Amino acid sequence: MKPPKFSYVAPTTLDDALKHLASDPDAKVLSGGQSLMPLLAMRLAAPSILVDLQHVPNLSDIEDRGDHIRIGARVTHREIERSALLADRLPILSAAASHIAHPQIRSRGTFGGSTAHADPSGEWPTILLALSATMQAVGPHGNRTIEADDFFVGPFTSTLRDDEILTHVSIPTTRTAWSFQEAAVKKGDYGLALIAATGTPRGGVLVDPRVTVGAAVGSVTRLVAVERILTDEPLTDELAEEAAVAAAESVKPISDIHGSSDYRRKLVASLVRRAVVELKNGA
Amino acid sequence: MKKLDSHQHMTTPVIAARSVGTRVLRSEDPRLLSGRGEFIADINLPGQLHVAFVRSPVAHARIIHMDLSAIRDADGVALAWSGQDVAPLCEGLVGEMAVEGCFPTTMPLLAKDEVLYVGEPIAVVVADSRYAAEDACELIDWDFEELPAVTNADAALAGGPVANPQLSDNLGLKGGASFGNVSEAFEQADQVVQGRFYTCRVSAAPMETRGVIADYEWASKGLRLWSNTQMPHYLKYMLTAYLGFPEQGVEVITPDTGGGFGQKAHVYPEEMLLPLLAREVGRPVKWIEDRRENLIAGAHAHEQFVDIAYALDADGKITGVRTDALGDGGAYHMPPWSMAVEPWCAVVMTPTGIYDIPAAEYTYSAVATNKTPVGAYRGVGYMAGTLARECLADDAARALGMSPFEFRRHNVVRDFPWTNAQDIVYQEGSWLETINVLEKMVDYPAFLQRQSELREQGRYIGLGLSVFVESSGESTATSQEHGLGDVYHDTATVRLNPNGTANVTIGLSAQGQGLATTMAQMAADTLGINVEHVSVQTARSTSHAYGSGTIGSRGAVVAGGAVARAADVVREKVRLVAANMLEASVDDIQLTDGLASVKGVADASVSIADVATSIYFDTSSWPEDFEPSLEATQAYDPAQAMFSNGGHAILVELDPETGFVRFEKVYSVEDCGTVINPNIVEGQIRGGVLQGIGASVFEELAYDESGQILTTTFLDYGLPTMDVAPPFEIHHLETPSSHSASGVKGMGESGLIAAPAAVLNAVNDALTPFNVVLRDLPLTPQRVLKAMSGELSTAQQEATSTQGETGHA
Ligand SMILES: Cc1cc2nc3c(=O)[nH]c(=O)nc-3n(C[C@H](O)[C@H](O)[C@H](O)COP(=O)(O)OP(=O)(O)OC[C@H]3O[C@@H](n4cnc5c(N)ncnc54)[C@H](O)[C@@H]3O)c2cc1C
Repeated sequence: MKPPKFSYVAPTTLDDALKHLASDPDAKVLSGGQSLMPLLAMRLAAPSILVDLQHVPNLSDIEDRGDHIRIGARVTHREIERSALLADRLPILSAAASHIAHPQIRSRGTFGGSTAHADPSGEWPTILLALSATMQAVGPHGNRTIEADDFFVGPFTSTLRDDEILTHVSIPTTRTAWSFQEAAVKKGDYGLALIAATGTPRGGVLVDPRVTVGAAVGSVTRLVAVERILTDEPLTDELAEEAAVAAAESVKPISDIHGSSDYRRKLVASLVRRAVVELKNGA
Repeated sequence: MKKLDSHQHMTTPVIAARSVGTRVLRSEDPRLLSGRGEFIADINLPGQLHVAFVRSPVAHARIIHMDLSAIRDADGVALAWSGQDVAPLCEGLVGEMAVEGCFPTTMPLLAKDEVLYVGEPIAVVVADSRYAAEDACELIDWDFEELPAVTNADAALAGGPVANPQLSDNLGLKGGASFGNVSEAFEQADQVVQGRFYTCRVSAAPMETRGVIADYEWASKGLRLWSNTQMPHYLKYMLTAYLGFPEQGVEVITPDTGGGFGQKAHVYPEEMLLPLLAREVGRPVKWIEDRRENLIAGAHAHEQFVDIAYALDADGKITGVRTDALGDGGAYHMPPWSMAVEPWCAVVMTPTGIYDIPAAEYTYSAVATNKTPVGAYRGVGYMAGTLARECLADDAARALGMSPFEFRRHNVVRDFPWTNAQDIVYQEGSWLETINVLEKMVDYPAFLQRQSELREQGRYIGLGLSVFVESSGESTATSQEHGLGDVYHDTATVRLNPNGTANVTIGLSAQGQGLATTMAQMAADTLGINVEHVSVQTARSTSHAYGSGTIGSRGAVVAGGAVARAADVVREKVRLVAANMLEASVDDIQLTDGLASVKGVADASVSIADVATSIYFDTSSWPEDFEPSLEATQAYDPAQAMFSNGGHAILVELDPETGFVRFEKVYSVEDCGTVINPNIVEGQIRGGVLQGIGASVFEELAYDESGQILTTTFLDYGLPTMDVAPPFEIHHLETPSSHSASGVKGMGESGLIAAPAAVLNAVNDALTPFNVVLRDLPLTPQRVLKAMSGELSTAQQEATSTQGETGHA
């Protein structure tokens, strides 16, 4: 389990990083290395050059920008877990961070790395889709922003281009109703199913609810049928049950050694039910 | 079965317990816990080269062509060998178990004609660095023709495609025996309960993977081999027997080792190859197994099916037991334990358990499949046997409408010594007391109350009981008692130094059991000195002491016996001189608390340190004809088989929405005779039970139908973690052995042996409202949720049948 040969650079400016990244089609960004290095060690990836972002400035802040919070790509899972600002303004992030792996990995793995990696089992992709986040990327041709809905497009696949670097993620703070549910066999395991549900509470109902599923599916997805049921309806136990049924009917779960699609369908339904009940109690 | 008379002379001294029985802190810990251990990966020899293996990506194939020239031409490569290259130096390792009906196999060091499992080494590369070696491995040029992969034990048993051409009917083992009138018991039974249990394939998954370093010195033909093996002396023997290295020049060195659990008690092709490579390249060579290799190619464990049936009379007494074990052995017998040991031990070692069953019959078979060879893992075979026996006991209790405690109490052996149907003699035990103590610990009536209250709220808790008896202190006598001919013994050397401190060397390598601490306690009390004044060297090298391996719950018993016997020789010297110094009769001299004193005479004493100093430096203190060496080496092998016993009760809760099993509490009762050190015994229980929890709920080495292994990292292979570990309540019973040193019995394996049965029983107890009984491990969330959703028909799970209809496979 030793990686094949690769070159390594640790540029000190974003421009240099972009140049290195453009210098070779097989160049890859290295952030916390907690997903990339295992892939290298198992020889499932063989990049020619790794462009380490650790010395690139301005990527490590969590900033309060009023109606949204901007998180730098290099912010670690651990920093999110411990951020007082996030605990106050986006507590779903604080709650979910502790589900990611173990403290050692959380101390190295980064928010941007996880987002760019687009692992369907990742907590961040599932949550960012539910929070309607906006990704900020920079490439040889300048900056662009990508809505979460347009970002996660497949298993380990985002619309970020190979020569682009994800720099920040902006998350609106208006979705104050939230629930995050994870079914993991053991603490620190990847979940067998993840559900994130958010919305803006107004007069006892949720405006614009978003419900997403991760881990049980090949790619993080919104459960549109569930969202429809929750929209502008008073949250009740009956509604939770209805949402669970809709989730089971509409989700397209994967099947592997950790659980059949049938089993995961049931999990998704249970987690959706739990999420709606939690929204009800919290709203 | 004859007992070995020659062993009767190996008596051990009677000593006053001072440190024995107390919670002496582990002397190993300051070093190991502060990162000062030296493990094999930490050892680097000047000029060393690194080894990597090319392993088969397919389960079963004929090798048509293999060309290593690209590998040999690669940067930094010193040597590359295929199976063709190594075969002339060593044909392979013969594996078998010395019982009737075992058919041996020869496992090549590198596959030559056919590859038989995914992960089998097919070529080896020696290079400047592990990186260069792994780069070169990718350049292998080979062609193969795929052959049908045998991945199912039942199919293998039925004949059909052959997994290993050396076993034309796939049979690695077949046999059985019958004791007492079994047919009559079943014919006259009032009811028969039966079931087929499956223990899935798992890995011992030690925290430290395997590793080997070989250094050959051509001028002296000396070979130094570093290996984190549990059996250094056996490995040394194999190096001389198979490879021809001169016995007197071979030293096997075992550094600190991070867990073995039986996986490191085999002799592997890698351990045989490294010395040959070192000799060929004239430089030291090093191989550290990576985690993926460990999960794929380190010995696998457990996979077997056990069919078991009890004949019950109208009173609810078990009148007969039939067991059949079918082991899914993998491609080869892994020496020395083989694929036979798992099913054989499951049915032969304790078919009757703690129960007074007059008739027993068993059959066993092991079949070859195109999977990694199955070997020994902590309590080999006992786990499956105990699972089948104890879970069937719960089935019987349910069928009879008795509580699990009541049913066991009703059938337990009460009088000792007891000879079971197989003629195995159990000298003593606290079997009944174990049941009673556990029932009290769990407060069964209160539990039942809580269980029914929670059920009303849609919560499902279950309590599972498992009571075991374990042969311990693996010895020549134990082996004979069970119809085998293995011969064991260990030696220890004890030296008393001039200031009255002692150094002890034992023949067992340690993998974390705390042997240096417990052996210091045994030596200290025998010599009458303070335990802090004893330093113990476990077998870091085969140049000191001799040992048959750290296996079979034998360390405390066998090394302890050898230490006590060697210390006793030194003690007698001290007593002689003390008698002379105190002008008393030697018979009246006792050694305790650092003093040699005259029995019954206050103030007549001299410190043991002064006696030691005198022996070294003051000849006037010597009695006539005194021989002053204060160093002795003695062997020990217990005269009789001995059995420890105990039980666990495990409390679980099932999540009806996810099928997750949560562990609330473990109650353990352990009787390993005299407890040398409660901390260490409790640590063994906790670790063993956790492994049992893993093997029953979280762990499984999964294969697909083509023989591809699917669980090659800890992402997919689910070891239990601290987070799932429940609190423990541990109760010690002490029924000393009448013949071991200080009455000690072994217990290293008992946690893993007995915990899975308690887990399965607990889950089935929690499932009672759903009217299903599960019998297959692991209890994955998916299986549990299925059971809770009523999708499993009761008929399919039916355990009981009416009289006469035994339906035994
Ligand atoms: C044992 C273990 C358990 C884990 N458990 C979990 C878990 O439960 N949940 C979970 O979500 N994750 C888990 N992870 C993964 C972990 O969260 C990683 O940290 C994360 O997936 C990737 O972040 P990273 O910073 O380590 O990225 P890296 O590994 O450095 O990179 C990952 C990928 O993203 C790309 N990349 C990184 N940063 C950028 C950027 N700024 N712009 C463009 N591309 C970029 C890289 O090129 C690479 O392709 C686990 C990891 C391990 C080792």
